[in-house]
Amino acid sequence: MNIIGPDLLVFGVDDVAACTQYVTDYGLIAKGGGRFEALDGTGLQILSKDDPSLPTELETSASLRKTVYGVADQKTLDAIDVELCKDRTVKHLDDGSLEAVDDLGFTLGFQVSVRTLLSLPSEVINAPGSPAQRGINNVGVQKEASPMPRSLSHVVYFVPDFAKAEAFYRDRLGFVTTDRFIGVGPFMRPAGTDDHHTLFFIQTPPHMQGLEHFTFHMGGPTEVMQAGTNMVNKGYQSFWGPGRHLFGSNWFWYFKSPFGCNMEYDADMDLHDANWVARDAPPGADNSQAFLLEHREKWAPMGPPPGKGPPAGKGPPAGKGPPAGKGPPADKEPPADKEPPAGKPKS
Amino acid sequence: MTNTVSLCNLSELPRNGALGFDPFNEGRDTVFVVDTIHGPVAYRDLCPHYGSTSLPWRKNAYLNSAADKIICAAHGAEFQINTGVCVSGPCVGQSLTPVPIKIAEDGFILASIHQ
Repeated sequence: MNIIGPDLLVFGVDDVAACTQYVTDYGLIAKGGGRFEALDGTGLQILSKDDPSLPTELETSASLRKTVYGVADQKTLDAIDVELCKDRTVKHLDDGSLEAVDDLGFTLGFQVSVRTLLSLPSEVINAPGSPAQRGINNVGVQKEASPMPRSLSHVVYFVPDFAKAEAFYRDRLGFVTTDRFIGVGPFMRPAGTDDHHTLFFIQTPPHMQGLEHFTFHMGGPTEVMQAGTNMVNKGYQSFWGPGRHLFGSNWFWYFKSPFGCNMEYDADMDLHDANWVARDAPPGADNSQAFLLEHREKWAPMGPPPGKGPPAGKGPPAGKGPPAGKGPPADKEPPADKEPPAGKPKS
Repeated sequence: MTNTVSLCNLSELPRNGALGFDPFNEGRDTVFVVDTIHGPVAYRDLCPHYGSTSLPWRKNAYLNSAADKIICAAHGAEFQINTGVCVSGPCVGQSLTPVPIKIAEDGFILASIHQ
């Protein structure tokens, strides 16, 4: 099955206005009708939770109502139709896509992928011993930047039975397990992509079934940092990160969202082929990330102009700065707890 | 150690809304107050799902759009405003940690917070 990856996530949400503002600030492009897209045309559809056009919600009332996969061609679409028709209803929708429900109850769509092939440079670096990636007189970073999500990367489901989920996506849709957290669930990629994963399952009690997070690929770690910093500066609250995962090697930064699930920016994910042998590891903090950082307000080790500010050495130690989530601009509070400039030793 | 701190005046609390506070200058809100018809109620800003993560997706976004439930934006947990009990989501049956409050004569909300 030449499934490439998720093209579209369809949500039924409590607060459409909040979600619309959120994904706009996240960097997706409004396309009308509640649709928001990354640069390659993959994206999200935001509808009110009682919109009659939405597929039936899970018993858990999760806001994700449908995951639409992009496939390579009509031949693949036909093959999926034949396969899934064996034991379930497959709807043929007016737009040419298919709709069916997986073995866990998630509604899936399948369509010839809408994603466009991007031709954009990735983040490049220079390092001793390696030919320069970024040439002479090319500056690596800008003070202000608004990096845009490039492509819908992956979804992570809370599921009551990861083995059942893994079997369905492996045996019926041709997904491959690339790595797994023991007792938690597998990372899986469909056959049409090299990405380490477009799907990951987390075993939970049945009442939690739903979407844990969704993620878009960025152009590199600096874009993850700058996009995440922009979110913090707009008052959104970090959930986890920034940091770098071990399985998949992707840089990450997660934010809570009005979708009732987390949103992630990621970059620089590992690519794999049929030669890759899946690893496994116990779950937990040690195996989830190579390192974990935390945002703080901009600060520099320099004192105020002479004669102003606190005496030298009175500044708090580094690392005590306020982290993410200082409130949106509209109701941003006075920086009562803002760190005073660190004292600069007189020379 | 339990400290009594003044969070805000009742008049500053939005009607049927919520406000977060950082009473000990930790760099993030650790307590929030919700206005109800029975008076304000306060909780620690910690979702019992993991026990160490805060609830809102942006500052003061503690309630759903109908303002009849407290929500955690991370995984969609919903809590009764008056009791703090999770009625839907990952930590169903568990509760937010209440923060005892009283209203001073001048209208300020005084919270007793264990640090």
